[in-house]
Amino acid sequence: MTELAPAHRTAPTLASPHSPSPVSSAAVLAERARTRRRREQGMVLGSQVTIALLFLVGMYALNATAGNLTMPNPLDVLDKSIIMWSDGTIPRALGQSLTVLGLGFLLAAVTGISLGILLGGFRFVGRVFDPFVNAMNSTPGAAFIPLIIVWFGLYTEAKVIVVWNAAVFPILINTAAGISSANKDLVEMARAFGASRMTLFWKVMVPDAMPSILSGLRIGAAICTVGTVIAELTMAQSGLGGLLIAAGNRFQMDRYFAVVIVLMALGTLITALLRYAERRLARWRVSLQEGR
Amino acid sequence: MAVSQAPLISLRQVGKSFKDGKVRALENISFDVRPGEFVSLVGPSGCGKTTLLRLINGLIEADEGQVRVLGQPPEPGPDLAMVFQSARLLPWLTVVGNIVFALALRGIAREDRTQRALALLGAVGLREFADAYPHELSGGMQQRVGLARALAVEPKVLLMDEPFAALDAMTREVLRGELLRMWSRRRMAIVFVTHDIDEAVLLSQRIVLLRPRPGRVDEILDVELPEPRWQNDPRTLPAFAAMRKHLWDRIHAMVGDGAELEELAGAFPDVEPPQAQAR
Repeated sequence: MTELAPAHRTAPTLASPHSPSPVSSAAVLAERARTRRRREQGMVLGSQVTIALLFLVGMYALNATAGNLTMPNPLDVLDKSIIMWSDGTIPRALGQSLTVLGLGFLLAAVTGISLGILLGGFRFVGRVFDPFVNAMNSTPGAAFIPLIIVWFGLYTEAKVIVVWNAAVFPILINTAAGISSANKDLVEMARAFGASRMTLFWKVMVPDAMPSILSGLRIGAAICTVGTVIAELTMAQSGLGGLLIAAGNRFQMDRYFAVVIVLMALGTLITALLRYAERRLARWRVSLQEGR
Repeated sequence: MAVSQAPLISLRQVGKSFKDGKVRALENISFDVRPGEFVSLVGPSGCGKTTLLRLINGLIEADEGQVRVLGQPPEPGPDLAMVFQSARLLPWLTVVGNIVFALALRGIAREDRTQRALALLGAVGLREFADAYPHELSGGMQQRVGLARALAVEPKVLLMDEPFAALDAMTREVLRGELLRMWSRRRMAIVFVTHDIDEAVLLSQRIVLLRPRPGRVDEILDVELPEPRWQNDPRTLPAFAAMRKHLWDRIHAMVGDGAELEELAGAFPDVEPPQAQAR
């Protein structure tokens, strides 16, 4: 057979009596590839650390030339971070923000995916609602804040609604698009084997849309962090957004930066988590993209 | 051959149009497929070979005439199984999972599915790849899984839509042999679509030659070559060469009628269309 299988599968058969020492030469090759990969990893990490250090140096320089108001001293930021973490200011704010963010995201994910499945699965429904979904999606989330304040007040439930409103449409649109553009060949295959409409939908179209749904969730989660901060800035001040505006208003730039760092870390962490989930749940698609 | 047997598939004056009747795909198609028979549908592109298969499978309905499978209007289901040009495996399921999927559609009891799927994979020589994902396999191996999936449901009719067209020549040769061996053991009817004349003569007992635009039956030919053909390659026999020449002559005649030239005229717009009003 001329068929090629992935390396890890053919490796054992390569070790036939014909080739003198295939195991050791394969091991040498593997070792060389590993070294190369490790070196590249080191280069990437090294460059990243250098860039971070350059930022710090820039902060120092700006602080030294333009003063505390323009740019706080990085050491002061570190100081303030330690104080705010240890006296419970940041943990409390983080808890409040995470509550709003988590509830909003959960709500957006559940409603977005179910509505998306509905709109993507039933062509008629999808066509009817398309302009409305587009209209809502293209309106900035902040535009609805006054209305949400009137309807839901200024506290946690209203903020959750703001976050939900910001995140639900990207999730919905991605889900619907993923399902309505399901692979026609696979659908025809399942139909040819006699799949019922329900089987077709749940066993073929929805799994086929999974990568699309997951990227919708990732985009939605990123928007959720933005939505949370905006809600906390514009409604009853609370959480990390509240700390941010309070520090900013008092020109306490060191405190302000301590909060910004937490927000950065939070956003990065959430994206990384969802990327991990994407990789696990849609492993087949990811490995297709990365090439064999 | 048992000519007296009642046909498994029968088509009578079947016609089919697409695009609101603007494109005539098939016209007045009539032929039968007997139980256990290997029939090839051959013809140049645009003669509606794939459309015919989809009609027999019940994926689409005929506009005119009658399609009957086991005496009934066809419905996608366990009596029929299709092998496509690309394997069309579900990429999120493992190889064995893909076969289990088809067995589940067939209504096989849950506890028997995996065992049967593994047995089928053994039959196509892919047992050790049961837990691999389709994208980890080569094109030929994927196509074997597609074949195993179709055989797993134990269909009365196996429909094959240019199953080897996308494979390299060596893999194609091996799979043809395997298909013939499989067929001789199980004797389901096979309707095999191909545009490869040699392949049609090599594999089938009967060839339905189609003309394009609209698809019509040009000729139905019995292929009388010694069996089993995977053991004694008939390609060296004069009968094979004669059959092959006859089919090619027919196809050249069709091209002479302007069937393919019409396509070419569209591809090179600055060239004067030789027979633009052929349709």
